Amino acid sequence: MNAVIFFIFAASTLVGAGGVVLARNPVHSALFLVQTLLSVAVLFLLQDAELLAAVQVIVYAGAIVVLFLFVIMLIGVDRREALTETLRFQRPIAVALGAIVLAEIIFLTGHTWATGAATQSGVPITGSTSSGDLGNNIQRVARVLFTDFLWPFELTALLLVVAVVGSVVLARGSGDRSERSIEEPSSTADSESAS
Amino acid sequence: MNPVIDYHALAPEIVLSVTIILCLLVDLFIPDRPRLVPQLASLGVLAAIIPVLTLAVSGTDVSMFGGAFVVDNYALAFDGLFLVVAYITLLVSFDEIADGDYYGGEYYVLLLTSVLGMVMMASSRDLVSIFIALETISIPTFVLAGWRKHDTKSNEAAIKYFLIGVLSSAVMLYGMSLIFGFANGTKLSVISEYSAGSPPALFAVAIFLTIVGFAFKVSAVPFHFWAPDTYEGAPLPVTAFLSVASKAAGFVALLTIIRFGFFNSSDSWQPLIWVLAAASMTFGNLAALRQTNIVRMLAYSSIAQGGFILVPLAVAGDVSGPSAWEAVLVYLMIYAAMNLGAFAVVMAVSRRTHSTEISSFAGLGRVDSVNAVMLSLFMFSLAGIPPLAGWFAKFVIFRAVFDAGTTAAVVLGVIAALNAVVAFFYYSNVVRRMWFDEAPEVVSSPRPASVALTLAIGITVVVVVVVGVYPEVFARLGQLAFASG
Repeated sequence: MNAVIFFIFAASTLVGAGGVVLARNPVHSALFLVQTLLSVAVLFLLQDAELLAAVQVIVYAGAIVVLFLFVIMLIGVDRREALTETLRFQRPIAVALGAIVLAEIIFLTGHTWATGAATQSGVPITGSTSSGDLGNNIQRVARVLFTDFLWPFELTALLLVVAVVGSVVLARGSGDRSERSIEEPSSTADSESAS
Repeated sequence: MNPVIDYHALAPEIVLSVTIILCLLVDLFIPDRPRLVPQLASLGVLAAIIPVLTLAVSGTDVSMFGGAFVVDNYALAFDGLFLVVAYITLLVSFDEIADGDYYGGEYYVLLLTSVLGMVMMASSRDLVSIFIALETISIPTFVLAGWRKHDTKSNEAAIKYFLIGVLSSAVMLYGMSLIFGFANGTKLSVISEYSAGSPPALFAVAIFLTIVGFAFKVSAVPFHFWAPDTYEGAPLPVTAFLSVASKAAGFVALLTIIRFGFFNSSDSWQPLIWVLAAASMTFGNLAALRQTNIVRMLAYSSIAQGGFILVPLAVAGDVSGPSAWEAVLVYLMIYAAMNLGAFAVVMAVSRRTHSTEISSFAGLGRVDSVNAVMLSLFMFSLAGIPPLAGWFAKFVIFRAVFDAGTTAAVVLGVIAALNAVVAFFYYSNVVRRMWFDEAPEVVSSPRPASVALTLAIGITVVVVVVVGVYPEVFARLGQLAFASG
């Protein structure tokens, strides 16, 4: 079984790597890179390196590739992209997927908050440090992350949001009032500058 | 192991976070009411002051997340300082952002996020928290410095600030990782225990790298070279914010990490801070003498003022009581009021003259005597002339120096005293130009200062005058902040 999974994802890693080099569109290249990185994460899982797999997904597939995509989208805007959405149902699907993830998290925590006193299902946060059973790597990292380092962890979320806002503000074609008012021909900007 | 969350103690941060998210959403969904976001932002900042006050009245210290986050008088004093500074920065921002031909909704989001980082910084007692707070302060300001996207000077300001900021973070992180390796923990209490033993020589290198990282943030000489260009290129409200709030946050970080972490190895950090203080005062003042642009002059002056704030830190290891810590807090509060006030007047005047050259302030006394009086007050206060607040800031520093009483402290005191004399020349030069020189030709299209800008000038001038005449107000605050520790 392990051998089968290994060959499937090893092949997937190679196909993704080839796609990164061969794809014409830089966005497709970046997405092939995600495929490679996720496949490598599965290979890590096969070696019982859960934390490494999680970090591979979060840091490489999550952060770095999203950064690539951001740079490509913000800087590579030489030709006018069609602003109409070609996938018609992507917005409802995005909302639905978000709701499902939220429901999943709430379900996994057993209807208590991450900081709550009683966690009925899932991994108990409460004091297993004294009993000697510290759990595996992921459980230990998670325990520290959601107890001692909860506050900086939460702040990092806001920091990332602001980093996105800041990069969009800087990279957006223009922050000019005049050009904005061309885009949205509402009279507010004009009456503002007139008054 | 469950973290105990005291929502009352976290209330200032939570109120600010909610305000940030609200501003972002309001800006997105209600774009045709541009006044709404700034109003919301200033309401949020004022609302965040309320829990700070109630926490101060309740008077119980709260420690959370294993001692990484502490709310005590020390933290609350700086929380209050940051929030008031944020409110005044918002007041001076309204006109500039509304008139500047640049869209403004995100400006307030970024500014408030930076303030959130500062409020968090005051409570952080852990290297990880301090670092995250510092990044939360810095990253929004990189964007704010480049807010005028079509102005190459603003671009230069942002790029320089960003590159130096990232470099300094890297240096600081390297130092912090070494400290973590030695002390086997990131909490300042753990580091303090470790340094009370006999740490190896390499521990001093770790302290050196960490403090150098902070020296970039507070633009201490020789790590200051980004400051004048960034201050000149950034929009004026952002410059005021950088030179007051951002710098104060750097000092709070330095103060916290030295007071709670490194204090026992004072052999390692005292000489370093001593050199930084002496170099910043001397170089900042000498460079300020030669400036013809008032914003550049204020930039170099703020480097020099930063040197003065480093003086009590450089002698803190030899002072038995809390007077050195108090001096930092009191100096920061007074510096915030007079520097913000000076920038507010420069903004009000430059709305009329469209220039920040010192020559454009010539003859201001006859054209616009109210602003000329205000600017004279702030300049004399920065120079440290009684009875304006600046003298008391200088006084607390010299008191800390005498409390230390060592040779190094006295030498540093003499350097500070000489620098205070040098500083008087360039501050009074502006005043002389305003009252004794002829006014240049009046430039057309004056834009009158708004109520908000006038209010900002009013608040700061009241602080400068009242504290100067009755310094007990801030002195008492300083004592309260350090009473228990």
